[in-house]
Order: sequence, then structure tokens, then C-alpha cells
Amino acid sequence: MAVMTVLQAVNDALHHAMGADDSVVVLGEDIAELGGVFRATDGLLKKYGPERVMNTPLAESGIIGTAIGMALYGMKPVPEIQFLDFIYPAFDQIVSEAAKMRYRSGGQFTCPMTIRTPYGGGIRGGHYHSQSSESYFIHTPGLKVVVPSTPADTKGLLLTSIHDPDPVLFLEPKAIYRSVKGEVPEGDHRVPFGVAATARAGDDAVVLCWGAMVHTALKAAALAAEQGWSVQVLDLRTLVPLDEEAVLEAARRTGRVVILHEAPRTNGFGGELAAVVAERAFEHLRAPILRVTGFDTPFPYALEHIYMPDARRTFQAIERVMTF
Amino acid sequence: MALEFRLPDIGEGVAEGEVVQWLVKEGDSVREDQPLVEVMTDKATVEIPSPAAGTVKRIHAEPGKVIPVGAVLVEIELAAGAAAPKIASHGGAPAAPAAAKPAPAAAVAASSGGEVPTPYRRPPGQRAAATPFTRRLAREKGLDIEAVPGTGPAGRVTDDDVLRFAASGGRPAAAAPPTAAARAPSAPSPIPASAAPPSAPASGEDEVIPIRGLRKRIYERMALSKSHAAHFSYVDDVDVTELVQVREAAKERARLRGARLTFLPFILKAVVAGFRQFPTLNATVDEAAGAYTVRKSFNFGIAVDTGAGLIVPVVKGVDRRPLVDLALEIERVATDARTGKSRLDDLQGGTFTITNAGNIGGLFATPIINFPEVAILGVHKIQKAPRVVGDRIAVRDVMYLSISIDHRINDGATGARFMNAVKALLEDPKLILAGEI
Amino acid sequence: MPRRAKPPAKEEEAPDLGLLRVLRDDGTADRALDPGLPPERRVALYRQMLFLRLFDRKMLGLQRQGRIAFYGASIGQEAAVVGSAACAEPGDWIFPALREGGAALLRGMPLRAFLGQLYGNSADECLGHQQPMHFSWRAGNHVSLSSPIGTQVPQAVGAAMAARIRGDRTVVLGYCGDGATSEGDFHCGMNFAAVFGAPVVLICQNNGWAISVPVSQQTASRTLAVKARAYGMPGVRVDGNDLLAVYAATSEAVGRARSGGGSTFLELVTYRRLGHSSSDDPGRYRDEAEVRKWERKDPLPRFRRHLEKRRLWDERREKRAAEEIGGEIAAAIREAEAAPPPPLESLVEHAFAEVPARLRAQLEEVRHLFQEGGRAEGAFPL
Repeated sequence: MAVMTVLQAVNDALHHAMGADDSVVVLGEDIAELGGVFRATDGLLKKYGPERVMNTPLAESGIIGTAIGMALYGMKPVPEIQFLDFIYPAFDQIVSEAAKMRYRSGGQFTCPMTIRTPYGGGIRGGHYHSQSSESYFIHTPGLKVVVPSTPADTKGLLLTSIHDPDPVLFLEPKAIYRSVKGEVPEGDHRVPFGVAATARAGDDAVVLCWGAMVHTALKAAALAAEQGWSVQVLDLRTLVPLDEEAVLEAARRTGRVVILHEAPRTNGFGGELAAVVAERAFEHLRAPILRVTGFDTPFPYALEHIYMPDARRTFQAIERVMTF
Repeated sequence: MALEFRLPDIGEGVAEGEVVQWLVKEGDSVREDQPLVEVMTDKATVEIPSPAAGTVKRIHAEPGKVIPVGAVLVEIELAAGAAAPKIASHGGAPAAPAAAKPAPAAAVAASSGGEVPTPYRRPPGQRAAATPFTRRLAREKGLDIEAVPGTGPAGRVTDDDVLRFAASGGRPAAAAPPTAAARAPSAPSPIPASAAPPSAPASGEDEVIPIRGLRKRIYERMALSKSHAAHFSYVDDVDVTELVQVREAAKERARLRGARLTFLPFILKAVVAGFRQFPTLNATVDEAAGAYTVRKSFNFGIAVDTGAGLIVPVVKGVDRRPLVDLALEIERVATDARTGKSRLDDLQGGTFTITNAGNIGGLFATPIINFPEVAILGVHKIQKAPRVVGDRIAVRDVMYLSISIDHRINDGATGARFMNAVKALLEDPKLILAGEI
Repeated sequence: MPRRAKPPAKEEEAPDLGLLRVLRDDGTADRALDPGLPPERRVALYRQMLFLRLFDRKMLGLQRQGRIAFYGASIGQEAAVVGSAACAEPGDWIFPALREGGAALLRGMPLRAFLGQLYGNSADECLGHQQPMHFSWRAGNHVSLSSPIGTQVPQAVGAAMAARIRGDRTVVLGYCGDGATSEGDFHCGMNFAAVFGAPVVLICQNNGWAISVPVSQQTASRTLAVKARAYGMPGVRVDGNDLLAVYAATSEAVGRARSGGGSTFLELVTYRRLGHSSSDDPGRYRDEAEVRKWERKDPLPRFRRHLEKRRLWDERREKRAAEEIGGEIAAAIREAEAAPPPPLESLVEHAFAEVPARLRAQLEEVRHLFQEGGRAEGAFPL
């Protein structure tokens, strides 16, 4: 096992995938000589050459559109969108084409493409380098949405994504690209979809979260422990497919649910999770289901630290459900 | 004035950097914007210029050293007249968030965590408020939740309300604790006991009761106290025959002021006197600091059994209140506790606790200290008993006192002497009345 | 209006395949192509380029010191910015990309507001909402840069279309980089501009690099300017480091637009001397020799040579100008840096015209956790 950062785990997974299967190709802006603006694709060009590691012109719709074509043809493209904030020119290709390819053809044509993109706030990037807009994509049937929070899961989930027969949006939490380190298994390490992970066990309440927010939730749970409350942190890992059973088991056992996400409150994934819990764990609830989220505004630059949920705000919600 | 210049976040999300080489050395004078040092991140090697004019005082990171964003790179002694630039953000290492801690309860508080509780009974016509879990519990017990009185916030029906209602055969639990039958000190409360256990189901099946709410608080606090304090108990009996007469005489006059004069005010006064001689028993311990604080105020918690469980409201300033006032205050805090009206202030700040099970029974007990206090006094029933007076056997009024003391803080001799002092006053109550205290 | 040269003899000299130059290497100007600016205007334009150069250097230093989080420099591209923006009238509109921030300063944006936006404090008219460089300046009709590339092109065209509908004499300058010419929005913008005859000048600063992707990987077309032909609008390829050439080409295009002649596409050939931003390491993907080659074509010494040839400038004036500019910048920094952070309220203002009740409630939930307008040390606390 090696100790890596989240970013290094991305790179490790890509090297492994490309080495093991020559139908895997990567394409995107600045991913070749530069190795990506975050260095996620570092070293790939040298090892696998320009036919498999392609710098593209500056056009997101082109990157995704051509990647879809490659996928239809039988390759496993892993296009990169430099920041999730820049994905919208490609939204039509993703929603109208990639997501519907299998359904519209009755399974005759499929799109095994993995779109990698850094998402989320925390680097003082303002409106266009900080968004956590997973909701648009979760809401699109036919797409899978995956968000790791640890280096091991980053590698494992990325490898599973690349080999998944359906299009996957792989969201990399850039705030923790370099600040979270962990042991990563060598070789073909896979993490299955639809299986949430308990980052911290607890029985009094549960925080449902993903990505960088998992680490925020852990800090809040530590604060809660000082008050004698034992709080579970459930890292969802894959938003589509959702591990509904894990969510419900935790909700039924604790009766107190807090949902944490960076994305704006309205129509964030927290609403869906709250509905699922209310529908199927209703009789176990001892307190209202609370959401700790970003604000319903564009992502601000100067007041980022207020916009982003932090451990104190999360603890505040935990306190509310614990003392209801 | 020296400026601590820290490694900034020089590129999107960089967390650390390696010092490659210093372009100045300690003692050099530098201009604003003069290149100071080369730092390598995993994105690029950058030259960092000085934010101000001055002299390089001390270099904190040698070449080859990897430092996190926000760590000090170098101290610069600012030149006279040079302004320290406002470097508002250094990125990287986040400031540790200050926890918004809930208001701490000094004693075992009601499960609502400090919110102002509301009346015991719902106004007629108002539908029961209850969580889904509580409703299911009621349904499983065959109860109509509308019939269950609520003691939670805004009259909400809690799990304990349901359990208690079921245990009492579907009738509401008694609002007031039982009054003294004989001349027992009537600040009624058992020694910390559990809430009435649910009745055994008719079918004989085991029943699992989740430990929640107030019971959970008690559960945790008792374990905490017992596992930390080195409890030892000391018991003595007190001849309170004269005290009984004094109280009898004073009772009526107290009633004219609207007060119910029990034995408790006298006992509290005697305890204050004892503390004046042995102040280390009126103290709170701070384990983290490795110290205990001898308290100058006399705030005594009175353990009260409410329907929902044990609550310990605090009578503040016992030394400052004359006897009848003390009786009034004891009654106020106890009633508020029983009806769920206690203010947060009434539940905090205690220095010592008195607990009483005299009305229920028993000779003496080994009460559990109300952590982080260092001692607790148990007061027991007064009853007629034969005692040797002079050379003869006489029938006297006798009361047992038991005290549990944290032996880490106070030794047996202190406890014993304290009890002697208290006993002396209770056996000769003229001294209390004489304002000895 | 500059006098036109003779029609090109060879195709390579077509305006969209050649390279318009006015300044010769020795500092003299081609009289036929010289835009005919009076001497004091030439000096003023040079001083503006010098201001931009010194300002950029200072801002990059602030970024290295962690006092501002980000900056997009135009070092090496000053002639392209100054020469084109100088042709805009006060009422004209500007839709910039990353390296045209200087255009606002030159057209009168207060330095304090510009710096306030870089610091993200209360001196910023945008209330610290956006990342540095993404300022809006209403008084100068300067629309904010947006990080997604190329989005400004159709917007510039649309604003120009509106001006025409209204019958105003407004002309719009819409800037982009070489990378933007690959975006779908570029295609749409160019097409709409030509179809509607919009009074817009679309100006591409081709500085050779889109982060690490050279122009040769961006397009297989011979030049960028020649793409205009496909849309049916004139395209001109210009030496972007020649201030007079930039001025001449832009001024002609602006005149065409203002007189109802429709849009023009200008490709200003220049060079990005530094990395894309401070987190970039250009050594990873390009040759230092190329950088040095372009240093020799630096627009400032080129134009300075021209001024000195006409005895309009010298070393003494250079020194004095540098000192004055340095002092002006330092004073503005001190003032802007001292402004307090934006107030807490600013978080929810301007999402809509009125703050919705739900949004206000979200703010009230957390108000007690934060000091009024406080800016925490460091990145967001996890």
C-alpha cells in the first residue's frame, strides 16, 4: 500500500487503467504535456503517446461530443472537463446524448464514458471554479454520479467508473486534492457503486454527506462527541446509484438525520434524501430532517468561508436534532 | 515591529511547498517586492517577493524543508515607517472552528437541553405534538396519543411521557411527589433513582427500553461521577428532638408568610456553618486543570424527583437567606422543577447537593456525588427511636445523615469533623436561630 | 482614417493572411499606414502601456505574497490592449476576456474599485462576489469577464444588435483569446454578427497559447483572421505588438461599425510571455527559446524607440514616469487594502432584484456564527 493524496490517486488510477486496457483514452484541455492544470494526468502522454492522450481545442461540447462518439465505437474514453463550472457547453451532449444512448437504442448502442472533473469550493475560486452542481446530473436518468472523499475511494471508484458500461460523471473534490492523504491499495483496486461507507460510527444521529464535506462532517462529529453525542458520518460515495438501504438503516437506527452538502439548498440532493428518509423511515424519526447546505446564491468569492458549510454549522444542526 | 510572513496559497488549492533556495540571508535589508525565496509546489516553482521593506530577522524554513501553506517562512523586522501590509488570507491551514457549544447544564437537566419547558398539561382542544417515533411507541402500547400528557417543549409528548402513561395504567402520573406522612423533611426526592419502571407486559415477554432523554442523561452522569470520584460514605445519626420542637413552633408563623417550613432550611444552614469550618467540602473539581476550586458561594442543589426523573435545581446563596426566605426559595425551585418550569439559572452553579429519601424509607444511604462537586449529603427520615440520654433510655426524634465524599479531594477526618459540626448545630438548634451562621 | 496600401499582389498579403505592421524595426513608422496620431497622443498611449506593465508586475507580486488570490497579467500584450481600447468612445461597450483588464483602467475605471475587486473587499462594487479580474464597471459599459471561455462573444454581438435597433452610435468591442475560437459560442457569435450586420469589432488576442495548448493544436486553419471569411465578414491579421498597427486596424473597424458597415474580426498576433496564471509552469510545455524570441519584440521598447526617434521620449522621462506610476499604484494599494471586508449582508444581495424570504432565512440561520463581515484567516474552515 502506498500513501497518496486524492490527486495522486486519480493519477494512479489513470495509469493503471490505461496500462491494463488499451481502449482507455483520455482527452481534454491541457492534459497532455502539462499533465492537467492540477497534474491529474501527469506522465500519461509520455507513457501512452498522443493517440491515447489528447490535448483538445478549447471546446467542452467538442470534448464530450467526440468522447461520446469514441465510446459508441467501442473505446472507453475518459474526458476531462477542467472545472465542473465549465461543463455547461457540453450539457446538451451529456443530457441529450450520453444519458439517453442506451435507452433510445434499446441497448444496441451504449456509452461507457467517464467524465472526470474537479468540483466544489474551498480554493477561493469564485463563481466559476467552485460549483457543486451535481443536482443537474443526478436529475438526468441514464447518468451515474460518483464522488469520492478519500484517496483509496478515489482510485477504487475511478477504476470502477472507467469500466462501468454506462456514462459516469466522476466529481473530484478539489478542495481536498492535496490536503487529504491516505493509504491506497496497489493494483486493480475497485470500489463498488451503490455502497455507502461509514466514515465514523455512531448511534445518536447520522450525517449524510459526500466529497469534501465528509471531512467537515467528521470534525462536526468530533465536536458532538465532546457533548457526549455519538454521531455517524455516512459517506454516500455514489449519488447515483444511491445506497438507499444504508441511508435508511442509519435513519431508522438513530432517528436523527442531518444532510450536509456544498450545493445550494433549493433542489439540492438533500431534498431527495430527506424525501426518501421521510417516506421509508418515518416512524423512526425523533427529530426533523435537517439540511446544512450552501446558500441559494452564486458561489461567492470573498465570503466563501460563510457560504461553505463548516464544522460549526454542521454541529449546530446536530445539536438541534439531538435536543429536539 | 516584526512581521511574520507566512507561505501563501500561491496556486489553486496548493497545500504545501518546498523551500528551494533563499535569495536573502538573515541580517540583509530588503526592499518591498524584492525577491526573498524560491518555493516549489507540485505545480510550479515560484519566487516570492517581500511584502514590505525591512531587515530579514529570522528564516524559519531551511532549503529542502516542506512547509504547509500558512506556516511562517521568515520574520522581517519592518523598516521605520514601513507599513505592515494587511495579508488577509494565507490559504491552506484552516482556522480551527470554535464550537457553538450548547449551554452546559450544571446538573442533570431536563432532556430538552435548556429550552424553556412548558406546562405539564396541554390546553384542551390542542392536538398532541409528538415525533413519529413517539407516536409509534404509543400505538404499540395501545395508547391514544391524544390522551397522553406531554412534558416536552411546548407540551410535546415525549417517549418518557408515553412510557410513564403506560406504566401508570393509562392514567396521568402524579404531578406532585408524595407529601411527608410523618415529620419527615419534606423536600421530597429519593436518592437518585430511576424513573418508574414500566409494568411487566401481561404476556410475560421481555421488553427492551431504549435509554433516551432524561434517563440517558442520568445514566451518563451517574457513570461519570462514580468512575471519576473516589466515593466513600460516612454516616451518623442526629438527635433532632429539639429541632422538631423548634420547627413546630416556627411552622405556623412561617405559614403566615406563605411558606411551608420543613426541616430542610435548618439543615442547609447547618451545612453552611460546617462549610465555614471545612470549606474544602464546598468545592468543585477540575480534572483537566488538576485543581479544585473552593467555592465562596453557597449554592445548594436540592434533588427533586419529577415525574420524568431526577432533576437538581439549585438554591442560590443559602447563607444570605433567612430561614423562612430559604423555605420559600426551596419550594419555588422544587415546584418549578416538578412542573418543568425551571429556568436555566436554577439548574446551574451548584456547589453542593442535598438529597432526600426520607419520605420513602430507609435508614441511610450512599448517595452518588453530583459531579464535579466533591460531596453530597443524604438526609433521611426522622423517626422516634430509643437513645441514651444521661443514664436513661429516652424516646427521641432521630435522623440519619449520610455523606458521600470524593476522597481524592477530602480525607475521612475532614468529612467526619464536618459532620460533627453539622450534627452539633442540628442537635442544638438555638445556635442556628442565634444567627450563628 | 489611415490611407490603405495598394491592393495585395499575392494571396499571402491578403489582410486576413498577412500581418499588418506600421512600425519598422528601427522605430520609424510606415507613413502610408500610420494612423496619424498627434505627438501628445502617442506619448499618452506609451505611458498607458508603461502603466499596465508596472501595474501587472506589482499585482503579480501581491499575488505571490498572498495579498490577492489571483491575477491575469497582460505582460507582453500591452500594445494589443492599449491600441485597441484607445479607439473606443466613452459610450462604447467592452466585453473583455482575461487580459483586457487594463482597458477599463485606461478608460477611466477608478483604480480603487479595480483593486477592491482584486482584494474582494468593500472597495469592490461587486461586493466581493467574484474572483479577482472578474470586475464589472457600469460607468464604462465594461461587462465582467466570465471564466467559461467565449461566452462573451455572442453577448457582445447581442449588445451591438441592440444598439443598432435603438439607432445609437454605440460600437461594441468584444475580445477573446485564441483558445476561444474553438468554442461553439465563437462560431455562433461570428455568425450572428455577420448575419445581422452588428456594429461590433470582435478582437482576438492570439497570444499563441491557451494554457498549455498552442494555436497549432487549437486550429488547422492557416490563420485565425481568415475564419472571418467563412462568416462573410472582413478579417484583419495584425502585429499585436505594434501599437500603431493595432490602433490603425481597430480604428478602421470601429469606423466601419459606427457608419453602419457591420462587423469586423481582428486577429492581434502577440505572445503570452508568462504562464497562464501563477499556478502555471510554462517550462513544462514550451521552449524558453520561443519566449526569448518574443522578448525581442516587446511592444514597449518598440514603441519607445519610435517616440525617441521623434524626440518625444527619453531616459529621464521614462524614469520619472515610472516613479510617478509606481507612487500612484502604491498609494492606491494602501487605500484599497485598508478597506474592510464586505458585510455579511452582501452574501445574499443581488441573487435577485429583491432578496427572497427563503434566502434571507438561510442567512439568519448562520448570522450568529460569524462576526459582521468577518473574513476568516485561511481557506474555508473544514
